[in-house]
Formats: sequence, C-alpha cells, structure tokens
Amino acid sequence: MFKREIKINFKSFILWTFILCAVFLVVFLIYPHLVKSDNMKMMDELLTIFPEDVLKSFNMDISSVSTAFGWLQTEGLMFIYLITGTFSAILGSNLILKEEDDKTIEYLNSFPITRTKIALFKISAGLIYIIAMVLFIGIFNYIGLISSEDINEKTFFYLSLSPLITSLVIFSLSMFISTFSSKTKIMIGISLGIVFGSYILNILSTISESIEFLKYLSIFTLADARNIIINSSFNPVMLFISLSLTIMFLVLTIIKYNKKELV
Amino acid sequence: MKTALEIKNLTKYYGNILGIKNLNLELEQGEIFGFIGPNGAGKSTTIRCIMNLINKNKGKIFINGILFDKNKTFLKEIIGYLPSEINLYEDLTVQEILNYHQSFYKKDLSINRNKLVKLFKIDEKKKIENLSLGNLKKLGIALALMHEPKILILDEPTSGLDPIMQQTFYNLLIEEKKKGTTILYSTHVLNEVAKICDRVGIIKNGTLLKIESIENLHKLNLFYVTIISEEVKKIIKELKLNNYELNNNTIKFRNTIDINILIKELSKYKINKLLIEEASLEDIFLHYYK
Repeated sequence: MFKREIKINFKSFILWTFILCAVFLVVFLIYPHLVKSDNMKMMDELLTIFPEDVLKSFNMDISSVSTAFGWLQTEGLMFIYLITGTFSAILGSNLILKEEDDKTIEYLNSFPITRTKIALFKISAGLIYIIAMVLFIGIFNYIGLISSEDINEKTFFYLSLSPLITSLVIFSLSMFISTFSSKTKIMIGISLGIVFGSYILNILSTISESIEFLKYLSIFTLADARNIIINSSFNPVMLFISLSLTIMFLVLTIIKYNKKELV
Repeated sequence: MKTALEIKNLTKYYGNILGIKNLNLELEQGEIFGFIGPNGAGKSTTIRCIMNLINKNKGKIFINGILFDKNKTFLKEIIGYLPSEINLYEDLTVQEILNYHQSFYKKDLSINRNKLVKLFKIDEKKKIENLSLGNLKKLGIALALMHEPKILILDEPTSGLDPIMQQTFYNLLIEEKKKGTTILYSTHVLNEVAKICDRVGIIKNGTLLKIESIENLHKLNLFYVTIISEEVKKIIKELKLNNYELNNNTIKFRNTIDINILIKELSKYKINKLLIEEASLEDIFLHYYK
C-alpha cells in the first residue's frame, strides 16, 4: 500500500518541483547579467522609494536583491514557501479523502488493515514527498548559487530547511480538516485558502504595527525567516510550536479518521 | 451448527432518518442466506455496518463468536466482500490490482487467483478504467473470493453478469458452501434466492420482517386466484377480500379461504374465467415487499 501511495503522488511531486526549479534556474541564469548591468542600480534606487515596512515584509531591509542569494532570501524564499505550501496543502487534502471521493475506500477497507495503518501509510508518503521536495530545491539552489557567488552556508542551510516548518503544519492541518469533509474539490479549496490567506496575513502584518497581530494567524510566521537571516539559526520557540502543531494535527487526523463514516 | 455471523440489536440512524432498527440475525456456518427487500429497505446499511464502513447507533456484530470491530484485522482476513458498486483504482491494470490485493494477505493466493481468473475469463492486461460493468463485476467476485474467505458478504453480486457467468457464479457459491463458507447474499433478483439460498430474510423499512427457510416457504401452499367476471365488486364484498388487485373486471388475490369453500362461494356468480395457481416464491416475496 505504501508503494502505491508513493507511485500515485509521484507525478504531482515532479510537477511542483519542476515549477520551482524552473523559476530558480531562470533566476540563476539571468542574475549574473542583471548584477553587472545598470538595471540593478536602478532597482536599488527604485526600492528606496518604498516605505520601510513594505521592504520589511519581503526581508528587503536586511538583505540586498543585488545578488541571487539576496533575491533568494527575499522574494525567492516567499515563493518557495508558497509552492511547497501549496504542494503540501494539496497532498494533505487528497491523500486520505481521495479514497472516499473516488469510492475506492469500500475496497480498501475490506483488507485486513486498520484505519490507523491506512492513515499512517498515507501520512508517511506525504511526509517523504514534502521532505524530498524541500531537500531537492535546497540542493538545486545550492548548486545554482555557489557557481556564481559566495554565500553564507549556515544561513543558506537553515533557510533551505525552513519551508519544512511551514509545509508540515499546512500538510497536517489540511489532513485533519479533510477528515471532516467528503469531497476533495471543496477540501483543496479550503487548504489553498489557508496557504494564500496565511501569505496575505503575513505580508499585511509587517506593513503597520497596528495590525502586526495578524502575523499570529499566519502559518508562514512559524518559519521566522528574518531570524534565520539575522542569526543563522531557527527560532527555537517557533520550531517547537510548529512541530507540536504538526504532531497534534496528525494524531487528531488518526483519531478522527478512526471514527469517520467512510461511505 | 456453529454460528458464523451474528448481528445483535443493530440500529442505525442517518441523522433523524431510520436506516435499520433492532435488527437481529444469525447465520449458521455453511449456509447461504438470502437478504432481500425493496430499495432503501436497509440491506446495504446492514452490510456497511457489518463491514464497519459506517458507525452503528446500537448493536454488535460477532464473527465466529468474536466481537467484530474495525481493529480486528484477523477477522477481516476471513471475510470476502463484494459491494454493490465496485470502485477500484482506475489507473491500475487488472493484473496490478490482483497483485495489490495479494499484497495484503500473508498466505500465498496465487493458486486460487489463477483458478478464478480462468473461471471468469478475466483479461489481466486490461486497465480497470476500460472494463465493462460485467467484467468489473467478475473482477470484483474474483477479488472477494481470492483469499479463500470463510464468510462471504455479497451485495447485488450478479447485476451486470451475463446468464452463463451467472450460472458459473452460482456453481462457485454452491462449491463454497460445500467447503463450509457462510454467505450473506443480498439481492433484488428473487428467483436466484429460490435457486441457491437455504434461508431468506425479508427486510422492509429497516426492520427484518421474516426469516424463513426456502423449504418452508415452498410448504406454505399459497394460492393466487384470478377471476374475470362482471360481478367482481360483489365478489369482493361478499368474500370480504382486503388485499387484492382490481383491474376492470379482473381481480387477483392471495387465497386465505379453504379451497372447497371458495369454489362453493364462487359458484354463485357468473364467472367468465377462473384461474387458481400456486404462488411462486417470487409472489411470496413480493407479498412481503408490498
């Protein structure tokens, strides 16, 4: 069963990883030329007209977009969070629920296997793909960056792993919510809403102090990329919260799935 | 005889809507039990409760005397299940789904697998998504029987099968019965119940109305009377008939009066046509359906 879970989700994994890699490949190819040209000066000048809060929301106040690594720490990182988050949300929504939506659960349930095991196999397949995607992107970016510039390897290491923090929470939360639903289409809508909603809340929270509290409603806050860029390490509190939430949602998923009416 | 499957006080509501109420049923080892009833009577609900697909409001299921719940996987190993609508992984070929099925069982199923594939003329190279309803049903039967279950739960097993395959299937069930397999056979096709079942349970509006052996149903000696006469209304009134079908001058009813008295009574009227026939099992079942 585990082998099948790996097989059926492989295409989706390849597709989303390819999208990310393609974008970064373009950046790595263009950036060396961009840096040498006058455009970069123009870009820096252009950025100075933005309010500091806006720059802060993309980490542009503590990183420069004049290098590819600088770009990765700003817009690039957010893009990675969004794509890995989207992939995790779709996986979380589909893995368990698709069997019910396709009505194959009646067949699967007839096997000598507990519902807990079914859920665990599906969770494991999802976790493997999320970890594989984050590692693959990290290695891809590393190769892309070291060929053209010097990077702070420690910061890069933590930044590359940081999408795991957000993706695992999104994955486990999507899985848990999916145990209340019976239609994958609705569920994917909800989980993508969580991803993009989180992204917007995260951006908004950095714009004005009066709405800073919004960051506590965003899953992307858990990655605390600013802390990684400044201190070259994870924020231990956020890491703890993220892991606790992931474990809690996965345990709740198994409990709820065991009580669910499957047809 | 040992009880293989026991359902005790099974009750299931879907919100406020009744699915089944206080259903009690015992299946002896090695019997084929026909489970019949009109659409929405509660047959599939009962089966889904047995298979733990839906939650029961009340009641328990026992397999070989052991309480059967979701986590008793060793009991699932001896159950074969064929749902009324078979939904399999459409991206797989028949061969792949047979391999997938095999991977869940500890014992070697290859001999039985080959036997069933040959018996039902299953094409292993075809993709599931390209199978016709009949071929999907044949594959479903093979999957339900592949692991040599001791208890078979079949929901509408012959829908979509051609007559030759139906006969092959009946023969296979009789063979299974001889081996001691217990079979719960839910169907709409009443004559197949008469053909292969030992006992029958009739369910309506979530309640099990009657459990009877096929042998006893045959012994009921029920007759149906059809009369064509200008005086049908008078006959209905004077014979005090309650349950009858009236169509112009034709009346059909199940006879509950002594046959000699009936003939004596009918001789008083001008009758164009009189037909007295033994009720078929189908008629008897239909009587409960209505």
